[in-house]
Amino acid sequence: MVEPHPSRRGFLGGVAAGGALLSLAVTFGCGGARERMVKHAESTGELAPNMYITVLPDGRVRLTVNKAEMGQGVGTGYATLVAEELGVPLERIDVAWADSRPEYRTSFFMHQTGGSTSTKEAYVPLRRAAAAAREMLVGAAAATWKVPAAECTVKDGVVAHAASARSLGFGALTKQAAHQPVPARPRLKKRAEYTVIGKAGRRVDARAKVDGSARYGIDVVVPDMVHAYVIHGPQYGAAPKTFDAEAARKRPGVIDVLAFDFGVAVVAHRYWQALAAARDVTVTWKKGTVAGLDTEAMRRAMRDYKKAGEGAGEHGDVDRAMSRAHRKIEAVYEAPYLAHATMEPQNCTVAVRGKRAEVWAPCQSPTLVQAFVADAIGGSRDDVLVHTTLLGGGFGRRFFPDFATQCARIAKRVKKPVKMIWSRESDMTQAFYRPQLAVMMRGALSPAGALTGFGAHVIGQSISFASRDAIGAVMPGIPNAMKHVITESIAAMLSTNTVPDMFATEGLKNTPYKVPNLRIAFTPVNTELPVASWRSVGNSVNAFAAEGFLDELAHAAGADPIAFRRALLPARSREVRVMDAVADLAKWGRPVAPGIGRGFARHTAFESEVAEIADVELVDGRIVVRRVYCAVDCGVVINPDIVRAQIESAVIFGLSAALDQQITLVDGVVQQSNYDTFPLLRMFEAPEIHVTILDSDADPTGVGEPGLPPIAPAVANAVFALTKVRLRRMPLQPAFDEAKRGAS
Amino acid sequence: MKLVVNGKPVEVAVPEDTPLLWVLREELDLPGTKFGCGRALCGACTVHVDGAPKRSCVTPVGDVADKQVVTIEGLAPDPATLHPVQQAWIEENAPQCGYCQAGQIMTAVALLRAKPEPTDADIDAAMSANLCRCGTYPRIRRAVHSAARAIKAGGGDRG
Repeated sequence: MVEPHPSRRGFLGGVAAGGALLSLAVTFGCGGARERMVKHAESTGELAPNMYITVLPDGRVRLTVNKAEMGQGVGTGYATLVAEELGVPLERIDVAWADSRPEYRTSFFMHQTGGSTSTKEAYVPLRRAAAAAREMLVGAAAATWKVPAAECTVKDGVVAHAASARSLGFGALTKQAAHQPVPARPRLKKRAEYTVIGKAGRRVDARAKVDGSARYGIDVVVPDMVHAYVIHGPQYGAAPKTFDAEAARKRPGVIDVLAFDFGVAVVAHRYWQALAAARDVTVTWKKGTVAGLDTEAMRRAMRDYKKAGEGAGEHGDVDRAMSRAHRKIEAVYEAPYLAHATMEPQNCTVAVRGKRAEVWAPCQSPTLVQAFVADAIGGSRDDVLVHTTLLGGGFGRRFFPDFATQCARIAKRVKKPVKMIWSRESDMTQAFYRPQLAVMMRGALSPAGALTGFGAHVIGQSISFASRDAIGAVMPGIPNAMKHVITESIAAMLSTNTVPDMFATEGLKNTPYKVPNLRIAFTPVNTELPVASWRSVGNSVNAFAAEGFLDELAHAAGADPIAFRRALLPARSREVRVMDAVADLAKWGRPVAPGIGRGFARHTAFESEVAEIADVELVDGRIVVRRVYCAVDCGVVINPDIVRAQIESAVIFGLSAALDQQITLVDGVVQQSNYDTFPLLRMFEAPEIHVTILDSDADPTGVGEPGLPPIAPAVANAVFALTKVRLRRMPLQPAFDEAKRGAS
Repeated sequence: MKLVVNGKPVEVAVPEDTPLLWVLREELDLPGTKFGCGRALCGACTVHVDGAPKRSCVTPVGDVADKQVVTIEGLAPDPATLHPVQQAWIEENAPQCGYCQAGQIMTAVALLRAKPEPTDADIDAAMSANLCRCGTYPRIRRAVHSAARAIKAGGGDRG
């Protein structure tokens, strides 16, 4: 009943996703598709044996990637896999972004990017797709030369037959290759044979991103396009009650000013005309959808919640362990709502033609955009074609297509293609947020300092519940009325915790620590403020609670924090190896410089293992993170420099949140609206980051998110090492300031 | 109104208080300069006005009449050659999502013209005006240093 799950991780069952991709890769050239492949080759000279790879007559390769490039380097990663197995240099591969056609829904019936799974999902199927194309090209050359295919070799896009000293470039073989059978199980290289995978190649998108030619959603231009600026209400989700646009309509270039339940859209020929005219619109507003919501009151209520919560994972008897403990420790860890604050504000371009629509969107799921736009214009999903542009940051935000819905509704009324661009203020105050959470921790220690009981109770909003509209959106062939019944019943089960929420306790329920008595619980808090996946999702808070609390327990037990954890982990496990690697890198255990505090944390997320050590200093009361050491095991590495870049990125993204960021609401009004009140770390505060990657033969696991969860607890633990002030609430800087005020 | 953008004189029919950012993006088809915050807080919209970095989102176009405006599209000396700062960005694999990088590069070029051999402190002081949500700061810092070396070795910034 809970499948398909609404949010990112639900679509990421690796086997199912990989299987779908694989079957498409090998069946595309069969039956009618096979005739199409031959015809296509005859008429264009292009060999297109599957939906990913097209070998062009000039020898270049077009790789169609059904993932969103939001900075994580998926284009480069996928091109690397193809370069390796096809036998072409990386520079000869041009990456294109797949549109919303059904064949690209390889990730649990969706075309979607999230959950740090893109590399894992493609590692075998995409290499197989490339290897199949290579075998067809080799087969064509061998047939031309009348030699056994086994005697031919491939290098740099050229098939060669050494014995007869003959060679042909891929471009010259495309037509003949289209007549070759598509091999169902082409031979894949063994890891020892890799020459491209594992090398620190340059990003394929670097050039376009430094010369101004990279095109994002905000840069889309389509014929006859007009521009929309949306005035949103002060309270979250407020609808306009009355509006006066008489003066604005007289402004040059203004086409119309239109009221919707989400706000007032000013539509003009140019965006700057819409911006200027918006100043002349006066709006009065109805109450917002979360009127009355006060995050400070909510925080107190969550802290004071005394019930046990529904169990999400349990063994032994924690209550008994606590009552018999030599020492028992309890603590509440807290985290605020957070915005994603992507550098590119939400935007979208939609052209509506009757019941059909064409959409250009910087989005993480074109499939969801199709469904939401279809609902907005009263059409059906497959009559909506979505083009994915580059994304100016995603981090989970662009999985939720509210922006596409708004743009489609405007475009439908205007009857022209519309590009809608939100202001930064709308992007921040009318967003989807990482939930505000409280995590009640408890631990029992034996006289010898062993951890005999461990409990964690998460209290806060359920991302699954908030994503209920997305559940219905991806159900194919079900009438809308039925979808609503199904989604509402799923939502009801999630809101009452009858069905456990998969995100709320992630990183806790799957903890690798071996404790004889353990209980992980969740209590949902229901508000209408939309919450969303935010880089590393539940892990972003749960690692802070678990790893901060373990540091408390280690200190209470008089143990070294790493040694204390080692005692809870299987000997020679991956977790221990990664812990030891970061300890070596940072020379853990040696004295640190005066004025520096050092903290440790580790976490498993998206099947990858990351351990981090932070060196922290206080400068005029400000927590300054000087250095961060990271060790990561993410399986086979496709491009080590991109792995390093993603860890650096996750550390800095995580530090911004750990130190300073929070979204607060007073009477349903978001109090932060731009980068002055929702600060990002700036360069002068960015620490040195040292990354070591463990060698592994295992298939790849996540990289975009797993670097984030350990950084907040590593910093909080370092602050404790330096000052003996235990920080249990993010953001840490205001919590530290408050603790200092309390102490003085 | 007459402007000089990327070395070319152009004429635009817009009110003088129109932000330069939108004139570049919408009237002159130069979308490499990005909108980030609209309030000069993030630096994504940074361009050069008479060689100095300016936030185009809060600069009325009337203020730059007859001045030299250079955008990311006008930085490379010719279509085949990148500016050394752009080249250093590629070599350090600096961009991730890339959205802020035009602004970062424009700020870095201005820094290196003022201080051809910047210290880490100089780089922090200049580059902290530009936000990057992907956290590419460590690579930007390295890229600014390597661009400084390349410019010195190559006999100066030809831009």
